Amino acid sequence: MPPYRYGRPALKNTVDVQLQTAFSDGNWATVVRLAAKRAATLKDPYYEAIKMCAQSQLDGTAEKCAMLVAIDDLVNNKKTPDIDSIELYEWACRDFFDYEVEFADTLGPLRARWAKANPSSPLALQCLQACLEHWDLVSAQQIATSLDKAHANTADRRFMFWNITLTFLLSISPQCTDASRKVYSLLAVRQLDRAADLTESSAKLEATDRGLLTEEEICLYYRVVRNHGTKEEYISRLTSPKLGAIGQLKEGRKVLFCEGLDALESWGEWDLIYKLCHEALTLGLEGTTAPFFVCDLQIWRKFAVSASKVTDSDSALAEVQATLKKYIDIKDKASEMYKKNLSLALLETTFRLPAVALNPNHDSDGVSPLVVQIGLFLDQYFERLSAFDDVKGYMAELGFDEIMTIMDGVLPGILDENADKSRQVVLSALEYKLRYLLSTCPQTLSPQPTVVDGETQDKPFQCRLCDNPTSLPCEHCLKKLVADASSTYAQIADDKELLAAIPRLDKDPRLDLALVMGTSLLKLSGLKPRSSDTVQSLWQDVDPSQFLQAVLLLDTQLKQTPGDTELRLLLVQLYLLLGCTSYAYQLWTPLDVKRTIQDSLSPLFFDRISTLSPGLFQGSRPLMEPLRTFYNYTLRDKPPVRIWDAFSAGSYTSILDMTEYDGKLRRSCTVMMTLVEERRAIRCYGGKIDYEIQEHPLTDNIDDNTTLVDKTDYGPFPNLESAHGPAIHEYLRLGPGLSNERSHLAFLSEQFLDLLAYKPPKDYKPTRQSETSLRDREYTLETLSRLSDSLADFLHQPSTPSRLTAAETSHHTILCLLSAALFIVLSTARSDPLPKTLSLLIKSLKSTFSTASRLLATPNPKPSSHPQATAPLTGPALHALSQTLASSLALKHASSFLLSFHDREIARDRSGRSGLHRDVLAEMKALGEIGAKGAAEVKGVVGKMKEGMAEGGWLDRVLDLVFADGEGEDGGVGRVVGGRAGAEEWAGRVVESWREGVKGWGMVRIE
Amino acid sequence: MANFRRFRPDDLNKLSKCNLDPFTETYELGFYLQYYAKWPSLFQVAEDQHGNIIGYIMGKLESSPDVYRFSEHYLPWHAHITAVTVAPEARRLGIGRLLTEQLEVAADAGDAWFVDLFVRVTNHKAITFYKNMGYSVFRVVKDYYGEHSTDSSQSSEDAYDMRKPMKRDVKKEHVRDDGEKHEVDPSDVW
Repeated sequence: MPPYRYGRPALKNTVDVQLQTAFSDGNWATVVRLAAKRAATLKDPYYEAIKMCAQSQLDGTAEKCAMLVAIDDLVNNKKTPDIDSIELYEWACRDFFDYEVEFADTLGPLRARWAKANPSSPLALQCLQACLEHWDLVSAQQIATSLDKAHANTADRRFMFWNITLTFLLSISPQCTDASRKVYSLLAVRQLDRAADLTESSAKLEATDRGLLTEEEICLYYRVVRNHGTKEEYISRLTSPKLGAIGQLKEGRKVLFCEGLDALESWGEWDLIYKLCHEALTLGLEGTTAPFFVCDLQIWRKFAVSASKVTDSDSALAEVQATLKKYIDIKDKASEMYKKNLSLALLETTFRLPAVALNPNHDSDGVSPLVVQIGLFLDQYFERLSAFDDVKGYMAELGFDEIMTIMDGVLPGILDENADKSRQVVLSALEYKLRYLLSTCPQTLSPQPTVVDGETQDKPFQCRLCDNPTSLPCEHCLKKLVADASSTYAQIADDKELLAAIPRLDKDPRLDLALVMGTSLLKLSGLKPRSSDTVQSLWQDVDPSQFLQAVLLLDTQLKQTPGDTELRLLLVQLYLLLGCTSYAYQLWTPLDVKRTIQDSLSPLFFDRISTLSPGLFQGSRPLMEPLRTFYNYTLRDKPPVRIWDAFSAGSYTSILDMTEYDGKLRRSCTVMMTLVEERRAIRCYGGKIDYEIQEHPLTDNIDDNTTLVDKTDYGPFPNLESAHGPAIHEYLRLGPGLSNERSHLAFLSEQFLDLLAYKPPKDYKPTRQSETSLRDREYTLETLSRLSDSLADFLHQPSTPSRLTAAETSHHTILCLLSAALFIVLSTARSDPLPKTLSLLIKSLKSTFSTASRLLATPNPKPSSHPQATAPLTGPALHALSQTLASSLALKHASSFLLSFHDREIARDRSGRSGLHRDVLAEMKALGEIGAKGAAEVKGVVGKMKEGMAEGGWLDRVLDLVFADGEGEDGGVGRVVGGRAGAEEWAGRVVESWREGVKGWGMVRIE
Repeated sequence: MANFRRFRPDDLNKLSKCNLDPFTETYELGFYLQYYAKWPSLFQVAEDQHGNIIGYIMGKLESSPDVYRFSEHYLPWHAHITAVTVAPEARRLGIGRLLTEQLEVAADAGDAWFVDLFVRVTNHKAITFYKNMGYSVFRVVKDYYGEHSTDSSQSSEDAYDMRKPMKRDVKKEHVRDDGEKHEVDPSDVW
């Protein structure tokens, strides 16, 4: 690390003690005086540098800028100061970098020049490091080239590969000009081609040779060729004896083989994939590599898929089976993991074989080979925690008759009657999960006439499992599933022997049963994936009774298995939907989502949280602080975290991967979510947002062309659904997940609100008021024009409607229309006629706002029998309420913004010519009133919520609903949760969480 | 259900199955990337068919700094297992063993004398696991952990420093049979 990172640099030893002391004491005025004297006497420019460095530490602006002027002069006049002076300059400028001064335009070129002139000096390496620390790739590449030339044919091979890596990085970086991009990409490819040729043609390479030796060097070559070379070049090298994938495998290097297969798959080069997989797997059988070195599931899958796509697929598939058989013959030597991989590979190959190759009657019982293979797999692995996940994809591919054979023939035959009871319940739990899976598969339904006797049928299918008319999923099957699973659950709960055996099992079977019952009830309740056109009140299309039963049941299970993260996450989502945010937060906290995993997991709780529960932000610790701290700390510096470590270790592919990861992290939708959610919550309580979103360091370099990346990890959710329908998390979300479109719209809307909220500092008193006012107006117009265009662009993208809730679409549309209207209002001279567009815009604004307001759900003032009154307001309704409030306030503030502008102008310019158009004033006032009315409506809804929650009877109401389906307390769910009495504590927590939410809403400043 | 391969930074977005388990620590980004930057071949993962990470091992290859060269606690060039974890759903399949074996292969390729690791003296399951893999106790580090995992009345817990000799240590000079009798302080451990 260069010394400036740790404090002020040491002066050269030749500097006298007096000056040294003054410098180390920070006695800057003395340093300036002494350094000036020494400079005059000794004519050494180093003293000039000391003088300017000391001046930059003084308070005066002129002194501070003298250093920048000097650097500018050095850069422009192609001068090369000595390295000690550069160190001084860099230290003195440290606070300016990335704000007023770009390192790449100043110190970077100076360091590059110095390193070019002194490439053999150890300090040249420090120059490279300094440039990388500021992510100045242009200067870094120049330095690396100089270092490479100076150290050619030395044993330290890093210089050559730093040069190549940086040339490549520059060629794919925005720092590279379009004119140079081609040159740099060619340069990187050609250098590596030469190195590769040398390796291929040499019997043995020495460290001093400029060939490719290490795995990192070879993989770098392939990465560069894949980016900048041709497919033919890549393939030709991948099949070469030494540097090819198989050659490298023989050396015990697997990375290239895996990356090569991925590249070939993207190009559809199935013949070569088949050939390479075959050769690689044969190497293991021959003993050239460790036997199971490439026995990964993905290799077997690629082998099987490629075999089905090559020209002579019959013999290729036969070869796949033969190879697999050879591995199965030696599987006793393999670890459990590889044994299971081989079993799955057998399943995979059987399923990929063409139908003609599968003799349906090859088994004496006429059982299809697909069924046989699933049966064999389950026979061996049904007790494993992952058994369901392993087979569910294959089960969903089976025909109906095959499914029935599995369910009625295979599963009951896995265990005999005398088998251990705990094994029997594990098998039962798996059977229930498979039954649920089948309810999501279309092959279990047969279509029925949609119109019978002139009447349209609401159930267009007949269930082939129960013969009842149905839609997907079959209600009858799901109800039966809940009843059967609850019986098994009760059986376990009543059996002490079974309960004692549970800790010895992979997973508590009650958990699986609860998940099956819970998700079945959710489906029965009518819950659907919440897309953009979903209605805003949950109870409009969801039966509260069954929904609440599901929540209660899963919550009861969480008490039995509090460590199960899948169940916990499921409940967090359900409580958010229910509007119980404080309770959802209580469940979320023990998951301990912190540090690195926040970026991918935080959206599962925090996305749209400010719209559900602004009160949650009023806790003792700022809600978003851990996220903010993570991003501020991780993205504080320009280069990717730990990048120099990768350079110094010669980990070239790590450099490329870390750079790519860093780029994505900076463009993460979660970053935008973090900023936006916090700002919305601050605004709710009338707090002051102390920065403009566009000025925040985390939004640096984000513009309309930046693609923001959603990296939300839905992996930890339980998913019993088949691939024929949406995954379970899509049913549970409040609306569509994070996306580039939504993040951009939120970013632009915040910018618009920043513009409306801007007030100059109180002590700001411009001397030339007219000129300042004109410039302010120009700036405002420019901003409004940009925002209105950008908002419209994003709103009109074909993908956008499916990425937003209806409330979000309305809100962003209102802000888009407002920005356009404001632009017209401010740009139309008082004497000109008003453009017709304005009236159209205002009309659209009014109608959009009125539509959004009409969708507001109104809570009943007290608990009643109407389902609407089941909760004060559920998640979707709270979200809509929040968006309506935000739109109302935007209208109000936009009106105030224009009216104050007009007042200011009238006060400044008595002629009245710079004020707003007369007709506009009335329109703007009217808009403000509409906003105020909207806000008042929201206030009314909040008031009703408060009033409603103040009433007693909520607990009974909730319990009545849970046990309202006639099943009674002793029914399926009742038995699991301990009847009404067992559910009371839960109902109390739910109601308490609603109360807390309403309390938070009551404190929101609605004005 | 699993693929074994080298870690990639994008895997950090798929760690939930491992890291939501309370027994797995989540570190700062720089910690993971430091290992990936310096020792990519010693950072291996197991992934399931959906791309979720169901196990990983992080290791490093180093020696004590030169300043300790003449200290009795000096560690020559060796590999160190920093973290190894397997998701609950993927346990009992030998994934931990396979990941450790892969790290040992990388250690041999890096010419290490031995592989070492620290484990709580009360973590009998892990100790047995490592002993079955050829590791033995080299020394006991007193009060290495700041809290006790099973006894809340104690403010610290000892660690075993366990080792397995690699191919380079032909004469087995870097392991011993009576490691439990050799006690050192945390300050002696580098």
